[in-house]
Amino acid sequence: MILRRGLDICLLGFLILSAGCGPISKTTLRPGSPDDLPGCYAIFPAEPWVSVHRLEATIRGGSSSLLGVTKGEPSERRLQSLLLSPEGFILFDAELSGGGIAVRKAVDPFDSPAFARGLMEDVALLFLLPQVKPTTWGKETHGAMICNWEGPDDSHTEIMGSMDSGWRILRRDKYGKVIKKVVLNGPFVNGLASRVELWSFKPASYRLRMTLVQPSP
Amino acid sequence: MKRFVCLSVLIAVAVFSAEIARTQDLTSLKEASRNIRSVKAEFLQKRSLPILTKPLFSEGKLFFYIPNSLRWEYLSPLRSVMLRKGNNIQIYNFSDGVWKPEMAQAVESRRMVLEEISHWFQGRFDESKAFKHLYSPGPSERVILVSGEGINRFINRIEIVLSVRPGVIHRVEIEEPGGSRTSIEFKNVEINSSFSSEVFEKP
Repeated sequence: MILRRGLDICLLGFLILSAGCGPISKTTLRPGSPDDLPGCYAIFPAEPWVSVHRLEATIRGGSSSLLGVTKGEPSERRLQSLLLSPEGFILFDAELSGGGIAVRKAVDPFDSPAFARGLMEDVALLFLLPQVKPTTWGKETHGAMICNWEGPDDSHTEIMGSMDSGWRILRRDKYGKVIKKVVLNGPFVNGLASRVELWSFKPASYRLRMTLVQPSP
Repeated sequence: MKRFVCLSVLIAVAVFSAEIARTQDLTSLKEASRNIRSVKAEFLQKRSLPILTKPLFSEGKLFFYIPNSLRWEYLSPLRSVMLRKGNNIQIYNFSDGVWKPEMAQAVESRRMVLEEISHWFQGRFDESKAFKHLYSPGPSERVILVSGEGINRFINRIEIVLSVRPGVIHRVEIEEPGGSRTSIEFKNVEINSSFSSEVFEKP
């Protein structure tokens, strides 16, 4: 009852709204050397971890604050994600494992399957290394890495940046249109960026700002 | 058979006596709370979740003025404040250097939380719509709130540990299904100190 009527952040609305996005040009690369390849994996935690982030969600001009807890086991490609209200109530608890999503707890307005799928996709984009090797990668003259992955559904993921300047992830749909954009900034603590900003343009339009509160290996 | 009857009478007397004692203690608790007009305190909240290897701590402060003005503010890790004055409830989150109002639906859902907390500071446990209350005598005197149908999806029970100062709450323990727990410990509690009523109106 406390939360049922919605400690609403209306993240549900994320999946209802749809908005276009400005074009971001796609970088063409020659295949890089094998020595550069580990640079493509730098932003993804390699070891199991648990983190707590302060989250600020912005949608339709409104904003809401939450705490996000994420547990990851990269070798198993398993993620568990919780959303907590500022008072600490669990609003959402789900696990991504073997490509499937199991929702343990979800209260209104976080209880739709579409919300669970959207949230877990975002969490996977941020923390899980794509399953296959990049199709192209290389280093720019100033040392920034650029890595491109082809997704199974003709989507593209592009990661570029460095530990000094920060990183950017772009996910494009099969038409080359950017549907998600992520900016990660250091310092990196136990492999996790201190500050992350995610913009989703499609199928829903929203922005998530994440600040690392508590990393633990 | 005679022994059984005697035993039954003894048990009945014991239960009846305990019931009277419980009523008396809750009555005296309510009586003690009647002298409280305002409360100002800091709190440390410890959140334990099975997923976390170490608990998550939040710090905050609260202001209460009878009968139903409450400011419940988190200072870290999220800066957020819930304000209640009468039936008017506002919630703000601090972001980018300014207080931003929380979305409307989230505000309404906190109404019950704020009402419950307001009851605690006045010893009005019997007025809860969501919990049944039990009294447990010392050495750490406490009131146990057992959740009713519906609310038990989120909270199993709440224990309110009372301070030796009459009517003052020392700690609140919240147990949730699935093994999660929250402990809120109050410190620097000031009773009947004066402060501006603006604390209940503005973030």
